[in-house]
Amino acid sequence: MPVKPSLYIALRFTAARKRSLVFSLSGVILGVAFFISTQAQTQGFEKFFIETVLGTSGAITIGDRFQPRYDPILTGGNGTSAAVSGQQSRKYYSGVDNPGLLIRCLEDYSAVLAVAPYVEGNATLRTNFKDEVIKLQGIDLVAQLRATTLRGQIIKGDLDRFKYRPYGLLVGTLLADKLQVKPGDIVYLTGAQGSPHACTIEGVFQSGINAVDQSRVYTHTSTAQSILNMPYQITSIVVRLRDPQRAPEVAAHFEQQFAHISRSWQDREQGNLAIFHALRLSSAIVVSLIILLAGFGIFNILTMTVLNKVREIAILRSMGYRRGDIQGIFLFQGLIIATIGSAVGCVLGGILTYSISLIPIHMRGIMNTDHFVVAWSSSHYVWAVLIAYVSVLVASYFPARRAALLPPVNILRGSGQ
Amino acid sequence: MSEAASHPPCLAARNLERYLGEEESRVHVLRGVNLTLEPGTVHAIVGPSGCGKSSLLYILGLLDNPDAGHLEIGGVPVLSIDDGEASAKRNESIGFVFQFHFLLEDFTAEENVMIPMRRLGKLTEAEMEARAYLLLEEVGLGSKAKRPSRHLSGGEQQRVAIARALANDPLVLLADEPTGNLDSLNSDRVFGLLTRLVHHRNKALLLVTHNPAIADVCDWVHEMKDGMIVNTTRNER
Ligand SMILES: Nc1ncnc2c1ncn2[C@@H]1O[C@H](COP(=O)(O)OP(=O)(O)OP(=O)(O)O)[C@@H](O)[C@H]1O
Ligand SMILES: [Mg+2]
Repeated sequence: MPVKPSLYIALRFTAARKRSLVFSLSGVILGVAFFISTQAQTQGFEKFFIETVLGTSGAITIGDRFQPRYDPILTGGNGTSAAVSGQQSRKYYSGVDNPGLLIRCLEDYSAVLAVAPYVEGNATLRTNFKDEVIKLQGIDLVAQLRATTLRGQIIKGDLDRFKYRPYGLLVGTLLADKLQVKPGDIVYLTGAQGSPHACTIEGVFQSGINAVDQSRVYTHTSTAQSILNMPYQITSIVVRLRDPQRAPEVAAHFEQQFAHISRSWQDREQGNLAIFHALRLSSAIVVSLIILLAGFGIFNILTMTVLNKVREIAILRSMGYRRGDIQGIFLFQGLIIATIGSAVGCVLGGILTYSISLIPIHMRGIMNTDHFVVAWSSSHYVWAVLIAYVSVLVASYFPARRAALLPPVNILRGSGQ
Repeated sequence: MSEAASHPPCLAARNLERYLGEEESRVHVLRGVNLTLEPGTVHAIVGPSGCGKSSLLYILGLLDNPDAGHLEIGGVPVLSIDDGEASAKRNESIGFVFQFHFLLEDFTAEENVMIPMRRLGKLTEAEMEARAYLLLEEVGLGSKAKRPSRHLSGGEQQRVAIARALANDPLVLLADEPTGNLDSLNSDRVFGLLTRLVHHRNKALLLVTHNPAIADVCDWVHEMKDGMIVNTTRNER
């Protein structure tokens, strides 16, 4: 099949003006590449943060039981009444009610990968160096390892030793630094009331979340229950989901089904997530502006091309090319630039993203990392290409329109006189 | 010419009027031009500079619209059609050679000749190339077919433009001083080619010329003055 005449002429016009081609192309290429690499970074950090959060506290945490109180508000004429329940009309009971049953029910959901119950309360940890109020969490180690990334978080000591020591402890790394303790050390734990218990540090963990690493201490459920004086109590259940993105709806369902407070990670981390979101949006806007600028460049170049080509346009018109053909020639020129620019930009964006992931940074705070974190997602590329096409096509539309509307005879006559 | 009677004229113009320019500097460039080009005839328009020859050709070639009058090409009225149809008509039925040979600079001679064929879209790439080469050979430029047109001399460019005007085998050829830049040998050759085509294939050629030798060998000569055809003579051969 022969090439469409306007595409053919567009290719020839584009190829004949190498300098403006390079100029237009570089704008699009850089815009696309920057867009991809900045999105990869911001989303990379966001994803990394989410993984950290999920690994430590699960997709959903189930907490206190509540009892909805139905206050009759409306009474229908036929004697039926409608009930409205809201946050205000709930009555809360601390802790999980009948945890064994609840866990079995949760495990039956196909969306649920693992569940881990724990009991939590404040305790004082005393070393020969100083006292510190900590959050003591009594966990079921086997369940915890399935529901969280605790195994990978251990940076010192030994989980197997912890497993067989009823009074063994796992201490957050920042807390361990502060108290200057290491695996093997003996410390004393005291609950709200009661006497100190001698415990051994068996490991130090690093979750990556500062708030956790500077205050949390893990022990076994029964030990924690006795120190905290909360016999048989479970404060919360960590739920790991197959698809963490679905956590809000699943949490809502659990809350309704089991009458226990259920919080998704999206709900718990709202604040941080909003920051990431804003960062991503702002970088997207900034880079889209770069692409828009490239669009302006292309607009200028194409407008100039149209002015330089008035003679050619008139000739083409005189030989039977329609307005639409002429418009097509300039739109195709934009399309050619957008296509080559997007293709090269995507490759460059990929290379840039990879290079960025190698840059070392030392980051401790809401998460820990030693390198730039990047996310690889085809959506970044799709969006970059889409934005490039739209801005280039908008930029070429007006010059193309202008070219199409040039009356040929004025030019032919004009250059004759 | 019994043949001509059975066919509609290739081109028929009635009472064409054209004004050019703005308000005060408005010029009445064409004042009621009548012209009929029967199939198989060659017409010359002669007249002083500025009498409106080019302006007439633009209108006949559907590049400009008259302010009044009537125009038919191949028996079809063409003044009321829209831009798309007019473009198609130009592409299929009209070959135009400008007074100032206009070629696309970035294209080779051959590619220039192929441009109207490309729009028509009836031939394959190879067929277009073969036809372009043939036409260029006819105007004596076979050896320069692949040359960028900006590297051709003025006369060569003019011949490329003539070959291009013939690309789609048009019904009507309009040429504005097509041999102005040519030496007598090439001028004869090009003119011979055009007249041969017209006579053998029942086309019509209207050419503007200042060269009496060329006007003398045309079938009809129209003298133009101040926007009117003041005298038409037939050359018997
Ligand atoms: N855009 C315009 N506005 C006003 N007058 C114009 C315009 N274009 C052409 N004219 C005038 O129209 C008249 C006819 O011009 P045209 O180009 O048709 O002459 P011509 O017969 O082809 O002359 P030549 O032999 O020099 O090519 C001239 O007097 C010219 O000055
Ligand atoms: Mg003229």
